[in-house]
Amino acid sequence: MKNISSSPMQAVLKSIRPAIGILISLFLVWRLFSEIVVERNFSADTWVRFGLSGLILGGMYALIAIGYTLVYGIMFMINFAHGEVMMLGAFGGYFTFELLRFIPAPTTADPELNFLNAYPVIAIILAFAVGIFISAMAGYFLEKIAYRPLRKAPRLILLITAIGASIFLQNLAMLLFGPQRKNVINPAILDRGAGWTIMVSGNPVLISYTGIFSLVLSSLLMIGLYILVMRTKFGRAMRAVAQDKNTAYLMGVDVDDVISKTFLISGVLAGAAGVMWDIHMGLVNHYIGFLPGIKAFTAAVMGGIGNIPGAMLGGMLLGILESIGPAALGIDFQLKDVIAFSVLVLVLIVRPSGILGEKLSEEKL
Amino acid sequence: MKTSAFRSGIQTGIVFGVIIVTMFLIGFTVIGAELAGKFLGHDSGSSMPPQIYFVIFMILFGLWCGSSAAKRPLTGPDTWQAALSSGLFAGLLTGVISAVIALIFGTLAANKIDVRTYLVSVSPDSIKLYLLGLSPVVGSLLSLALLTVSSLAGAALALTLRTNTDVKSMFGRVTGAYTGTLHSNRVVSLSKNKYARFALLALAAAALIILPRTWGGYWNYVLGTVGIYIILGLGLNIITGWAGQLVIGYVAFFAVGAYTFSLLTAPMPHHLMWNFWIALILGVLAAGISGLLIGLPILNLRGDYLAIVTLGAAEIVRILLKSDLMTPFTAGPRGIRDVAGPTILGRSFTSDVDFMYLIIVAVLVVTFLAYRLQNSRTGKAWVAVNLDETVARATGINAYGSKLLALGLSAAVAGLAGALFASRNQFTGPDDHQLMVAINVICLVIVGGIGNIPGIFLGAFALKGLPEVLREIESYRMLVFGVLLIIMMKLRPEGFLPARRPALEKNTPPAEKTEAVSQPGKEV
Repeated sequence: MKNISSSPMQAVLKSIRPAIGILISLFLVWRLFSEIVVERNFSADTWVRFGLSGLILGGMYALIAIGYTLVYGIMFMINFAHGEVMMLGAFGGYFTFELLRFIPAPTTADPELNFLNAYPVIAIILAFAVGIFISAMAGYFLEKIAYRPLRKAPRLILLITAIGASIFLQNLAMLLFGPQRKNVINPAILDRGAGWTIMVSGNPVLISYTGIFSLVLSSLLMIGLYILVMRTKFGRAMRAVAQDKNTAYLMGVDVDDVISKTFLISGVLAGAAGVMWDIHMGLVNHYIGFLPGIKAFTAAVMGGIGNIPGAMLGGMLLGILESIGPAALGIDFQLKDVIAFSVLVLVLIVRPSGILGEKLSEEKL
Repeated sequence: MKTSAFRSGIQTGIVFGVIIVTMFLIGFTVIGAELAGKFLGHDSGSSMPPQIYFVIFMILFGLWCGSSAAKRPLTGPDTWQAALSSGLFAGLLTGVISAVIALIFGTLAANKIDVRTYLVSVSPDSIKLYLLGLSPVVGSLLSLALLTVSSLAGAALALTLRTNTDVKSMFGRVTGAYTGTLHSNRVVSLSKNKYARFALLALAAAALIILPRTWGGYWNYVLGTVGIYIILGLGLNIITGWAGQLVIGYVAFFAVGAYTFSLLTAPMPHHLMWNFWIALILGVLAAGISGLLIGLPILNLRGDYLAIVTLGAAEIVRILLKSDLMTPFTAGPRGIRDVAGPTILGRSFTSDVDFMYLIIVAVLVVTFLAYRLQNSRTGKAWVAVNLDETVARATGINAYGSKLLALGLSAAVAGLAGALFASRNQFTGPDDHQLMVAINVICLVIVGGIGNIPGIFLGAFALKGLPEVLREIESYRMLVFGVLLIIMMKLRPEGFLPARRPALEKNTPPAEKTEAVSQPGKEV
């Protein structure tokens, strides 16, 4: 495809691409320099705070982004409904917490105690189990009902189906649970205000338990996924299908099964991200999946779509960029959502194949 | 009684059980009863519909369930026993699921527990309706009996009719009959007849001139909105229907057009108060240029990226319009008031009738341009790029350039629609430019018939006009859209009125055609 392109406009574009990149990075360096070194609007502890919240957010983005990248790598489709899968997982976690809050578990010391606070570890494990189960099932059945019949259809049709599924799931959740935001009440040991306090340049910085919990859990899940993809037989089958479906089929790989399980795995990760969203952010409604979904897709493109380490890196980077971006560039904090989309456009202009490069099979390049 | 019948019945039963439970949980059972009442000529207004209509709704649901359960045994070599037993099992299972739900919620309601904190749509009234006003046990048993019997009846019905009740084939038959009439000799010869065409044209023109004066403000408002959506659909059709590039954030261009126009004509943030027509042209130009700018870096990449980047652009535009940063320039979340109406020769016309005429003229102009484009070299180049980019390039088409042109034109049309919309409402604000506008436009283009101009008219009337008539389903509209998109893509991806392609393409076997654009799969 590259060799045929000879239109003058494209040639110009190709030659100015690095130039645009250099210009933009120079501009960014200048903004960063003037904000951090010259103007000093924020002290060091604020930067640490931003960086931390960026890492935590980045962990969730990375989990969702892996789902996009896995599916894109195998089916070459943007699973537009993936954010909604995460939202369903978040609702699963929320309802588990609410249910456990109503179950009394009185002890002699505290007759008012409920299950959620009496056995918080079990409650959290249960919430994750329920959230992950719901998301995994949603992903699995989404593929089975909506995408499988269209395996041979053009990609535009698949994308429109995915948009339809996204609208459907979002509105179903709204009609079921109502449009207003719901507060998630955590077990007392994971209280959102609690955490360790460290001193940075004389000011206290709170490292919340929920944040550390999310960060550790998302890292563990990512390591687990990496081992699954790189070290197991199923992972090898998955990589084979991503590389070349026909050859994989000839080698005895059950392609349909691999695709089903890929959706299942991406649902598991999205569900975990959803319950983390419950625990760390504390607000749930039908709309929470939309923006994180699109941002996670951005992260996947940024790292190089189809590339699992790329999605992890992209997610983390995007989380950090989004939280320190407004302060570092000296713009309004309302505009933090704009940063993610601007990053997407910039990546596509400067390096369309992403930071670590795309890993796609020949046929779709 | 064979196992296949048993299995098909169980599977159908689970699916329909999930459907009835979901319907109950989102409050659709009440709406279903209301609609059943409406079709039978009973308008219950805002109160609960009588229970008899709910019974009718449940019977219809059971008939549907039974006939689809009987479908698989019917198409196979099995006998009528299989079909009936499949329907019976499906009905029983659906009934049991429905009864369990009714029992649970009925007991909760009887103990005065309000579940609306968690499930907002399950009101005590809707539970009462579901139980037909009886006690939980009796009500749920009755619902079990109702569903079982009507499902069995549905299976029997399918059996007696001996027709394939498959939705797909029904769909195909209805649309086939429609297309058949459209292309039948009498219609074709009538449309070829010069006088007949002239008469039809005159009739249409007379209707368009007289009707806006007679049908009142409400219909002018509704049909004005339909007209603006027709313009939007025709615009999106250029890039998505012909050039084959999905643009999700089409509303971004709509917003650019509306805001450029409003800022130039409104008194508030800048007090420019320019002439309507100059501002309209500038709004169209600004939107077109924004389309070109977005297309420049993206259009030589994989197609999906354009979808996501435009989606991002739409969100950026909306957030920027709402932000404090832009408030001095664009009036922020409050929006721009007193946007100017059109003037001709010093006479301003801003009444709804006048505006309806303006919209009709705009729709006609855009339709005319769309037809000219479709038959031009450029239009054919777009279709060629859509069908196979590599082959199109080999024949000397500049694929990148033609896609860019398509996006620019498409954005310009959106700008026109945006300016008209702002001018008609005399207001524009960030909330007029939600992503849902763009999703509506995508839906109407796809449902109507992607790449086909009459199809877009049909889609706009169906998707923007029908919900006005069926007010009950207002809050379920987006849900229905989502399902509709999925079903359309599965059964009829080319839309209700599919675009007619050149005869040569028709002769190619469909398998070959799809293989060029899709993944090779299992059967290789």
